[in-house]
Amino acid sequence: MTTTVCGRCKSSGAVTDYQGRQDGAVVWTILRCPTCNFSWRDSEPARAIDPAARSADFAVDAGDLQRYPKILQQ
Amino acid sequence: MNDLPNRARSISSLRDFLELLEDSGQAITWSDPVMPEPGVRNIAVAASRDANGAPAIVFDNITGYPGKRLAVGVHGSWDNIALLLGRPKGTTIRELFFEIAGRWGDQEAQISYVPEAQAPVHECRLEQDINLYDILPVYRINEYDGGFYIGKASVASRDPLDPDNFGKQNVGIYRLQIQGPDSFTLMTIPAHDMGRQILAAEREKVPLKIAVMLGNHPGLAVFAATPIGYEESEYSYASAMMGAPIRLTKSGNGIDILADSEIVIEAELQLGERELEGPFGEFPGSYSGVRKAPIFKVTAVSHRRDPIFENIYIGRGWTEHDTLIGLHTSAPIYAQLRQSFPEVTAVNALYQHGLTGIISVKNRMAGFAKTVALRALSTPHGVMYLKNLIMVDADVDPFDLNQVMWALSTRTRADDVIVLPNMPAVPIDPSAVVPGKGHRLIIDATSYLPPDPVGEAHLVTPPTGDEIDALSKRIREMQLGALS
Repeated sequence: MTTTVCGRCKSSGAVTDYQGRQDGAVVWTILRCPTCNFSWRDSEPARAIDPAARSADFAVDAGDLQRYPKILQQ
Repeated sequence: MNDLPNRARSISSLRDFLELLEDSGQAITWSDPVMPEPGVRNIAVAASRDANGAPAIVFDNITGYPGKRLAVGVHGSWDNIALLLGRPKGTTIRELFFEIAGRWGDQEAQISYVPEAQAPVHECRLEQDINLYDILPVYRINEYDGGFYIGKASVASRDPLDPDNFGKQNVGIYRLQIQGPDSFTLMTIPAHDMGRQILAAEREKVPLKIAVMLGNHPGLAVFAATPIGYEESEYSYASAMMGAPIRLTKSGNGIDILADSEIVIEAELQLGERELEGPFGEFPGSYSGVRKAPIFKVTAVSHRRDPIFENIYIGRGWTEHDTLIGLHTSAPIYAQLRQSFPEVTAVNALYQHGLTGIISVKNRMAGFAKTVALRALSTPHGVMYLKNLIMVDADVDPFDLNQVMWALSTRTRADDVIVLPNMPAVPIDPSAVVPGKGHRLIIDATSYLPPDPVGEAHLVTPPTGDEIDALSKRIREMQLGALS
């Protein structure tokens, strides 16, 4: 079952960007989080996409997106 | 196969090069089913353990991407680089270095134009309902990357303020993160040509159109990563260095592109917009941070029939990134140093894009190597990248780490180490004090000259030179022959 909760920032509402097929059947789905822009494939190992199994070092704080610097400022 | 130089000069596309590699036992096809993650990454990393001999790998059975092809490791070994330069497998890194250094400024560029209707890259054209995921068999390169990256794109653009100037066209390798079906972010810094162009377009509120070339002439992939002057054309440079013609055509949005690339994505900068990008496992072997980066909207895609998507594994070394750019990081430093100091005999800046460099020099006077080291820090690449420098004598091959360690062991006095604090640093160097600022280290491992006290050592001089190199290769061949 494909979850629409982002494994990185835990926001809900991920959108489906693509579905891979093999012999006509869907074998995986690529999703994208509109909050933090994390993209993932639902067939990836849990440690990369499951918020419960994923390293906190790579989490993004959805409540504080201002902390991330903007590159190339005039 | 005994006409390697001519065969190398006749390469005009990725397909030509893959054929040459395959004929030489340097490309394999992976036809077993493989999952995009972690399968592709695992195979690419396993291959890159063999920096000397790894083959390119073409995947043609990735689960969920039926009929699509992916190539990795095209520049992933010294043997593949040797074949690109028209030299046989087994050519030493030192020989490859002098092959490249010897071509510097030696040849004329040969540029020809192919009408768009005849250019292989335009065989198939998409102008609406574009979904990059439908074209590119992407996969997560490192497990905590922020998304699916295009890691080996040569991005062509015209100067937005001088669009008719051929020389001011830029071709560079930038990392691209796919951001939905028809958008991607591009990571650059103000010092890079693309960074300058983005800032100029946004300041003057003029469009910036780009063409992202994937699966390219293998010479361009090498030379697009070489820092050359802003007004020098990477196409001309690649042609001159290959000693062969480069075929160009126009992209649909009016940019000069390679006529024989596998895929070209045309896109336009969304002025002033920034989107979250990263992290990405970068060449120092650590992840970049998350930042807000410029975003481009895809306007069209051209590709050859049955295109090959070429990508790279990059991360903690050794990786294809190191063989792709290592010698072309070293050769410009060598050429620039030689202008001031002809006593410099070789430069090895293979490690992490030159974060560590080893320079061999004939000492003109006591302490001279330190002067040369300081000059190296002021070369264009040295300003940001040359963090640790090891200076050795001309009788030490800087590409042979056993010899370098011998010099460190026997010729270094502990007070011959210089630390330069608070210098510019590459922002993604994990050892930086703060991103963009750190310390430099110079180790003078050259021998002493008067007026320094030189001690009483008299060197053993084992035989060296071409004869010994040839004997070494013959012994290796006899060893391999004994097995067959």
